[in-house]
Amino acid sequence: MRNNISIAMSLFALALSFGSCAELQQAAEQAARQSGDERLARTIRGAGTLVAGLLPIGYEEESSIGQSIALQVVARYGGTVDDPQLVRYVNLVGRSVAATCDRPDILYRFAVLNHDSINAFAAPAGYVFVTRGLLKNVQNEAELAAVLGHEIAHVSQKHILEVIQRSKQIAGVTEAGLAYAGKNPEAFKSVIDNAVKKLLDEGLDQSKEIEADQLGDVFASRVGYDPAAYVTFLTRLRTVKGDDKAFFKTHPNFSNRIQAVQQTMSAKGLKTNGVLLAERFAQQGKRL
Amino acid sequence: MKLRDKGLFAALVIAIYLACLPSLALAETLYVQAKTAQLRSGKTSLDTVVANLKYGDELEVLKRDGSWVEVRTTSGARGWIFANKLTASKPSGGSDTLAQLGRSMRRGEAAGTTASAGARGLDKTSEGYANRAGISQQDRDAVDRMTAYQLTDQEVEEFLKEGGLGEYAK
Repeated sequence: MRNNISIAMSLFALALSFGSCAELQQAAEQAARQSGDERLARTIRGAGTLVAGLLPIGYEEESSIGQSIALQVVARYGGTVDDPQLVRYVNLVGRSVAATCDRPDILYRFAVLNHDSINAFAAPAGYVFVTRGLLKNVQNEAELAAVLGHEIAHVSQKHILEVIQRSKQIAGVTEAGLAYAGKNPEAFKSVIDNAVKKLLDEGLDQSKEIEADQLGDVFASRVGYDPAAYVTFLTRLRTVKGDDKAFFKTHPNFSNRIQAVQQTMSAKGLKTNGVLLAERFAQQGKRL
Repeated sequence: MKLRDKGLFAALVIAIYLACLPSLALAETLYVQAKTAQLRSGKTSLDTVVANLKYGDELEVLKRDGSWVEVRTTSGARGWIFANKLTASKPSGGSDTLAQLGRSMRRGEAAGTTASAGARGLDKTSEGYANRAGISQQDRDAVDRMTAYQLTDQEVEEFLKEGGLGEYAK
């Protein structure tokens, strides 16, 4: 029996150190159970679950989370604009920027929300939304590229997943929340609903918004768009939005954002001789 | 260790260090920081494509000229690549390995997703979520279409070319 326990312990230690974790962990749990030590078996299972809960979320899980959040975004923002030419254009600009972002190996998709507010959102696994109201305030393709770049940065930096990971740990939801979504859909729903509340109502941490501004502009600039266009756009929004409290609940104020973008442009030596493509944008913009 | 041995040991360490130095000083390594990239025979987007590269590919820098960098791939192909598609830091696969481990420890696969997840509409997990959250069919269809939306790399490349973007900058 003592032998079985030491086998169980060794197997579990191995499980924590190597990739074939699940099998080894199961074997350890089994060995402990066979030795009659049910408590140790439960501890091994519990510890494994805890460790698993702390590990990052994989792409398949991210994809389910992203789709579920996307469903709520679409539902709360009036559905999508389905003009094929406009959808294609926004996807082309978005894909161009995403191809040079810091996480170009996943698929990004873009949609226009049928809503007059000026807003944009990103859900994990590359779901990016801009409102019709935002597009009406954009004057050229370089501005749009930076706005999409901002949202792409939220995805590439896994900002929303981080929120979920944190809330999962606080709530003590480990395996139940995600991989076991099929078995425990209520726990999954609570994880998603919390993430949606954070994303749409409370807003991400302001430092994450600033980081997304800075990175998004760098991504757009890598494609060849003029990075100064984003400063122009934020300055225009400052005038349009004034002190819209609902907006500032979810975003840092414009002066701070503009300053941060300008600092990045000079620190990274971004060239301001890129293209604006105002005419190409105007052809699509008039479809709104 | 005797004093003489210590001296020999120090000399050996210095010799090894010096032997390594030329390769350390000469070889600058960069990585592809884009989903795909073309290695061309010259410094313009009109030059022929020598090799197609992908995200994370390792390249040895041979020469720089403006927005273009001459490089050699690990398989020995030599050509020019647009500088904005390169990064000095190696794209990390570490977190993905950990994520894989996490998923394996959670002993499941995200229910209903397959290897081609993302290419075709809603998966079972988000379908289940939509049912519980009372999402309308119209909104489900919208996310479904968005998920399945396809553009080829070639279409994106054409779009860049038309706009004078990326390596097609005028």
